[in-house]
Amino acid sequence: MKITQEIKDSTVIMTLDGELDASSSVLLDEELSDPEIMKYSKILVDCQNLHYISSAGLGVFISHLQRFEDAQIKLIFYNMQDKVRNVFEILGLDLLMTIVSDYEEARTIANE
Amino acid sequence: MAAYLSVALYLGYRVYNNYSEESSVFLLHLVYQVNFGLLVLFLSKAFYIWRQLLLYHKNKFLQIAWDWFELLLAATLLLTIFNFNYTSYIFLPLLALMGFYILFLCTNMKWVAYLTFNNKSRSLVLLGAILLSCYIFFRFFKNTANSPNLVIDYSDVGFLLLAMLFVSLYTLAAFLVSLFSLPTSGVFEQKSEDLLNFQRLSQSIQQGQSEAQVYDMLFESTIKASDANAAWFELIRNGEPQISHLLNIDAPQTTRIRHLLLAYNIQNIDYINNNLSRNPGFRELALPWKSMAILPIKSTKHLSGILYLLKDIEGGFDRETVNVLRTFTSQTMLTIENLRLINESLQNERYKEELKIATQVQESLIPKTFPTDSWFEISTHAVAAKEVGGDFYDFLQLSESRIAIIIGDVSGKGISAAFHMAQMKGIFHGLMQQDMPPSEFMKQANSALSRCLERTSFITSALYIIDYRMKGFMFARAGHCHTLYYNSMMDDVFYFQTEGLGLGIIRDKNYANHIREMYYDYNPEDVMVIYTDGIVEARNKANEEYGEDRLLYMLKQTYHLEAEDIKWAIINDLEDFTGPGNLYDDQTLMVIKFKPAQPKK
Repeated sequence: MKITQEIKDSTVIMTLDGELDASSSVLLDEELSDPEIMKYSKILVDCQNLHYISSAGLGVFISHLQRFEDAQIKLIFYNMQDKVRNVFEILGLDLLMTIVSDYEEARTIANE
Repeated sequence: MAAYLSVALYLGYRVYNNYSEESSVFLLHLVYQVNFGLLVLFLSKAFYIWRQLLLYHKNKFLQIAWDWFELLLAATLLLTIFNFNYTSYIFLPLLALMGFYILFLCTNMKWVAYLTFNNKSRSLVLLGAILLSCYIFFRFFKNTANSPNLVIDYSDVGFLLLAMLFVSLYTLAAFLVSLFSLPTSGVFEQKSEDLLNFQRLSQSIQQGQSEAQVYDMLFESTIKASDANAAWFELIRNGEPQISHLLNIDAPQTTRIRHLLLAYNIQNIDYINNNLSRNPGFRELALPWKSMAILPIKSTKHLSGILYLLKDIEGGFDRETVNVLRTFTSQTMLTIENLRLINESLQNERYKEELKIATQVQESLIPKTFPTDSWFEISTHAVAAKEVGGDFYDFLQLSESRIAIIIGDVSGKGISAAFHMAQMKGIFHGLMQQDMPPSEFMKQANSALSRCLERTSFITSALYIIDYRMKGFMFARAGHCHTLYYNSMMDDVFYFQTEGLGLGIIRDKNYANHIREMYYDYNPEDVMVIYTDGIVEARNKANEEYGEDRLLYMLKQTYHLEAEDIKWAIINDLEDFTGPGNLYDDQTLMVIKFKPAQPKK
C-alpha cells in the first residue's frame, strides 16, 4: 500500500495504491488523523489503483467520516474500481459518502 | 613457597653457626644431615610444583617429553646405586645432554602469561626467594664437601645435582620471563577483560537483560577498553538524540561539541580525531581533551545511538583500540537487534495465543445444531481463517411457525472481534424475545452497538424471519452481502438488491433512514443462500475474486439438489477456485431450501 498526497490550494488529493487491508489501514489512519489535513476543505481520494479494501480499511474511512462532516470537509472518492465500489455499496456507504466516476466530476462536486 | 624462605633463613643461621664454631664433628654431621633432609624436602616440593606449572596447558608432546625426563632422572639414581663415577668420560656427555634437556624443558612457561600484573610481582619475590635458597643450599654443600671431617658426601650424587640443576634453572627462567613479561601483562589483562566484556554483551540476551542494561555495559566496557577520560552516549529516540550516559563531561560541553560536529557535517559516522588541538574549531571550544572517537551504534536499517569517547592525550585512539571499540559497537548492535527480535517474537506468540482464544470463543458462539423441521432444510458451513475473525450466525425459534435467522460479520480481528460477536449474539437474543420486525431490530441493534463499538469497527448483518404458516419471510440487510435466491416458480436465480447500512457506521437516529425491510412469499423448492464476504471475496492464486456471478452460476446448476448437496457443491467449487490452504477470511455459508411438506398438526 502506498499513499501519496498532493496539495492544490484548499484541496488534498490522496492517491491510494495497492491493497488496503488490516496492516495498511494503519497507514491510512495516520494520514487522515494528521491535524494538518483539517486545514483543507476538500479531500479527494483517487482510488484508481486501489485493488482491494478490507473491513479494517473501511473502518478507517468510517471513523473519520463524522469528523470531516463536522468540520465541513468534503470527502470525495473517484476512479473507484467496480470491485471496490461494490464493497462500498453492499455496506451502504455509497449513500453516506460521495463516490464519483472521475477526477473532473470530483473537482466540480468539490467546488459546489 | 614462603616455607622455602624460612628454610633458607634457617639454613643461613646454621651456616653461620657452622662457620663460627668449627668444632664438633658430631654437630657438623648433624647439621649436614638435617640440611640434607631439608634439601631433599625442598627439592621434592619444588620439583613437584614446577612439574605442575610446566605441564600447565600441556600438549601430548610435552607430556611425553616430561615423562622421559622423569625416567632419565630416575635412571641417574642407578649411577649412585652402582657407584659409577658420573664424572667419567662416558657419562659426562650424557649428563650434558640431560642439561640441555632441562634447558629445553625450561622453555615451557605458559603459566606466566596467565598471571596478572600483581600476581607477577608477587611471584617475582617468591621466585627470588627460591633462587636464594637454591644458592644457599648450593654454597653450603659445596663448602662442606671439601671438609675432611665429613664421612659421607652427598654432592657427588648425580641425581640430586640434576634435580637441583632443573629446579634452579627453571626458577631462574621463570624469574626472568616474569620479569620481562611484567610490562606487557597490562595489555594481556586488558585483552582478557575485553573478551570477558564481549562475552557479557553477547550473553545478555540469555540473561534477559533490557536494552538499557546493554547500553550500560557498552558504555563501561568501551571506556575501560579505550582508557578514555571522558565519554557520553546518546540514545536515538524517534530520530532525536538523547544523552543517556555522561562521564567527566557536562551537558553544555556535549552540546557545543555536537554543534561543532554538525557544522563540520560529521554525523552518525565513525570518526576518529587524534589531534583536536590542531583543529581551530575544537581549539576555540577550549576543551581539556586532545583525542576524540565517535562510534555510532547502527545496523543497516537504523541508528540506535552514538558513543563519544574523549582522551586528554594526543593520538589516544590507535588502530588497535579503535578495532576493539568497533567490535564492541557491532556486538552491541547485534545484541540490541536480537533483543528486539526476541521481543517481537514474544509479541507474536502472545498474538497467536489471543487468536487461539478468539477462535475458541467464536466456535463456541456458533450453534452446532439447527432445528429440523418439515418446512425447510438447512445446511451450514463455517470455517474461520487464522488472521481475520468475526463471522457469526444464529437462530431463534420465535413461535411454533416462526424462526429468526441472523448472519453477520464483525470487522476487526482477534479478541475484539470475538467480543463484539458475543455482544451481537446477546443483542439478537435479547431483542428478538420481544419479537420485532427485522428493520426495527437493526435500528435497536445499531443504537445498542453505538455505545460499545470502537470507532473503526462496524458489523454487517442480515436478519431473516421465516413464517411457515404465511409461507413467506421478512428480512432486512445491514451492510451484509446480498441474499442469493432461487425462485422455483419463475425458475430464476437472482440477488435481492436491497439497501441497508452496516451497523455502527452512523451512530445516531439517522440510521433509521438507511434500513429497508422486505417481505417475500416463498414457494416450495425455493432456495435461499446466505453467506459472508469471505465466500465471494475468496481469492485464487492469480488474485481474482470468486465473485457473486460465480456463486449465482453455481446455484443455477444445483438448485434442484438438497440443501446439503447444494452447500457442498458450492464449497467444493470454491475450494477448486482458491486452491488448498488459501484462506484469507472467515467463510460462512448457509443454504435454506423450502419444502412443500405440511406442518404436523
